[in-house]
This record gives sequence, C-alpha cells and structure tokens, in this order.
Amino acid sequence: MYGFEALSFNIHGGYLEAIVRGHRSGLLTTADYNNLCQCETLDDIKMHLSATEYGPYLQNEPSPLHTTTIVEKCTLKLVDDYKHMLCQATEPLSTFLEYITYGHMIDNVVLIVTGTLHERDVQELLEKCHPLGMFDSIATLAVAQNMRELYRLVLVDTPLAPYFSECITSEDLDDMNIEIMRNTLYKAYLEDFYRFCQKLGGATAEIMSDLLAFEADRRAVNITINSYPYGHEELAVCEDIDQVRAVMEKYPPYQSIFAKLSYGESQMLDKAFYEEEVKRHCLAFEQQFHYAVFFAYMRLREQEIRNLMWISECVAQNQKSRVHDSVVFIF
Amino acid sequence: MEEDRRKDDEDNKLALQFMDSLHNYLSLTHSLSSTLRQGWLELASAKHSMGTSRVNTSVLDLKSHSASTTLKITENDDGTQPQFTLQKWVSSEHESTKLEDKNEHPQDSDTKSSATEATLTKNLTGLADNDEVRKERDKSLSVFGVLISPKLRATQLSFEKALETLIDIANMRSSVLNSFTQLHKEVEDTKE
Repeated sequence: MYGFEALSFNIHGGYLEAIVRGHRSGLLTTADYNNLCQCETLDDIKMHLSATEYGPYLQNEPSPLHTTTIVEKCTLKLVDDYKHMLCQATEPLSTFLEYITYGHMIDNVVLIVTGTLHERDVQELLEKCHPLGMFDSIATLAVAQNMRELYRLVLVDTPLAPYFSECITSEDLDDMNIEIMRNTLYKAYLEDFYRFCQKLGGATAEIMSDLLAFEADRRAVNITINSYPYGHEELAVCEDIDQVRAVMEKYPPYQSIFAKLSYGESQMLDKAFYEEEVKRHCLAFEQQFHYAVFFAYMRLREQEIRNLMWISECVAQNQKSRVHDSVVFIF
Repeated sequence: MEEDRRKDDEDNKLALQFMDSLHNYLSLTHSLSSTLRQGWLELASAKHSMGTSRVNTSVLDLKSHSASTTLKITENDDGTQPQFTLQKWVSSEHESTKLEDKNEHPQDSDTKSSATEATLTKNLTGLADNDEVRKERDKSLSVFGVLISPKLRATQLSFEKALETLIDIANMRSSVLNSFTQLHKEVEDTKE
C-alpha cells in the first residue's frame, strides 16, 4: 500500500537500496568530465579513470588503447554491480532486476539474427552481444530461418517468449521483418514491465510508470524521425523534423526538449532526450523505499558509458572541440 | 627571335599548368582530410545514437553481391595520363558527371590534348533527390537495420564525397605527373 513502504521495505530491500545508493555516489561528476574532456590521448583517459570506480577494470589494459576496449571494460563494471544486486535480491525485486535486462536481450537476439542473415560467424556475433542480455541458448538463434523457428527452437524457453505472440510468422527473416520484430518485441516488453510495476504498486508503480512512459515516447519519436512519414498517430502524418516538433510541443513535458533545438535540427535531439531522461532518473533517487532506484541507476550508468564512449572517440579522432555535442552531465 | 619567344611562352604555359595542377592536388588532399574527419565523427555520433550493438563491423554483409560503385580507368593512346571515372550506384546506371578544371588551359590541336587535360569529377546531382540513387543508398545502409538514424545517413554521404574526392585526386595526380614530364622534357630540350 502506497505510503507504508517505510514499515517493511527495509526487511528485504534495505540492504540493496543502500548498495545502489552507494553505487550512485560513484557516478562521474562534472569535474571528472571536465578532466576527461581535456585529455589528449586514450591513455590520459585511462589515467583519469584509474581514480574512479572504473580503475580496477582498466588498469591491466595494455597500450595502445582502443575506444571499444574502454567501453567494454566500463560495461563490465555495470555488469558486476548488477550481478551482485541480483544474487542478493529476493522476490519481487529479483524479477524487477531481471526485467531491466530484457531490453538488452532483445538487442542481442536481433544482433545474432541480423548477423546470421549476413553470413557472419556466430562466435564473432556473440562477442559483440551485451553481457546483460545473454542467455544460455543464444547461440542456437543462428539456425532459425523464420520467426516461427526462432520462437520454437530458442525463445520459447526465454523470458522473451510472451512477447513473441504478436510477431510469429513463417515469413523468412529479412532486414524489414527483423526491424519489425525488434520494435514489436520492445513494445511488448515495455508494456509487460509497466504492468508488473503497476502490480507492485506504491512509489515503484508511480515512478516507474513515468520512466517507462518516457522511454516509450522517446522510442516512438526516434522511430518517426528515422522513418517518417510512418509513425504513431499524429506523428504518422509528419514529414520532417519541424512537423514532429509541432506535434510534440503540444505536450508540456516535451516542450522543453524541442525548445533546445533550432528549426530543421535533428542532430541534437538525441542529446536533448538523454538530458531529460537523466533528469528523471536522478529524481527517482529523491524518494526512498521503492525499486525505481535500481532501474534509474542502471540507466544512469549506461548513460555514463555512452559519455565515455563519445569522449574517447573525440579524443582518439582529435576532435575535442566537438566533445560537448553529446556529453550529458549527470551531476 | 620570334621562335625563341614562342618557345618561352610554351615553357611558361607548361610551368603554369604544372603549378596549377599541383595547387589543385594539394587543395584536394586537404579537402579529403577534412571530409574523412567529418565522416568518422559522424560515424561515432551514429554509434552513440543507435548503440554499439547496431553499428559495428559484425553486421556487415558477407554474402556475395555486386559492388554498388565501380571505378573505370581509361588510358590515352600513349598511356601517359590515365583517366579515372567513378560509376556510383551502378545498378541504377548512374555515372558521375565530369566538369572541366577551371584552371585548364586550351590545348593546341597538334599536342596530345587529352593527355594534358585535367578533369574533375563532380557529382552534386548524385547527392540530391534521385529516387533510384536514394533506394541504392538505403539498400547499402540496410545492414544496420531499416530504421536508422539521420546521423548514419550523413556518414554515408560524407564517405561518398570522400570517395569522389579520392578520384579527383587520382586524376589530378595523373595530370601533375603528365605536366611534370612535359616540363622536364622541355627543360632537357632547352639544355641541348
């Protein structure tokens, strides 16, 4: 019951909430980002990160470093944090934590299927998969010829099985069907996650419904931008970024996002959405005794890794003047 | 005396031609460098936007398929100045248009005019609204998925422009070498 979590939450969730708040305090600050943005080489970045929680993950990496190495090692930190929380969690928190990884699972499935369609080696594809989205039979995805086989041979025993009901066909897997599958699965996942959070009730339901709704809206806008004129309801009639802006500005939460863009400019839309997302996730930590802090922490850490990826690319390409194009400060 | 003056004029013309070609060559290499820098940054931006699982080398298509862009090399009768032409999006039979170098000097009829002709390949229309070309571009990008970020499309255009500049550089280099050979020959003749 909303308002009474303070009486009982700490029995099962207190330790892990303290852990995740500790992890949150380890996120990079503006001062850290300012130092990183002034680095001349990737080794300088490694040196600056050695003083952060990423230090132990990068210290043994030999020079010359590559940007993908930095991203991989920082992702390992996120994975370790997640696994520690998952193994300590009891129901329903453990199910909640598993839900957080289903998005990565969908991305991995699509990567394996796409790569197989393009006759890539399965081992090579597995190395590119996100570690949070791995499951036991993932390599078997390579044998499926259509979605029905995909479901029957592999996915029926995975958490993604319920999401396949809308996209089981016998059509061969091609680029278009794979794209449809990706977005159909993700839509079903977000809706399922939303229903689960509503069942939990309380502050978890309230905060997570806002975060998941924002995620769904962001994906709808991105799909429209990437494929207009197809899209969602009013977005469906839009033919360019300015029409998308006109539709989205009717909704107060999105006015501030689109206000940051000049007319015709779509390049900065990603950054504007990420900034709004970070703001919402930071606000999740203002309340106690709910599970949304776990979701928010995972997303903030992913944003931090995206920032590090961008900074590394700008440093590696000697384009430091562009580093602030995409870095989103968390604190 | 008249003959000496005419010879001097021809030598000067050759020297100017050589220096113009060299200047154009250096400008093109500088332009290529900045286009490539832009392309690589746009690719990083696309990776940032779409995620590293969608934009990486492991999704590139290894199935055998014909090249969407080919290079045609034509040589003069004496093989002194090969000509490079880019044929982009060949399934739509689109070929780059060629424009004369604005610094080109008209050749005498008795010289091998095509050998010293400096040509630039320029393909502004190929970057515009040709439906066939757009379909071929989308087909190339479809390895990354059907719904892709505008940043990835911008990356494609940058690298396409870089490829055109490379061909321009090849043609300009051919022109530089040819001009240099002629100039050198004139100098040697003068010494004799």
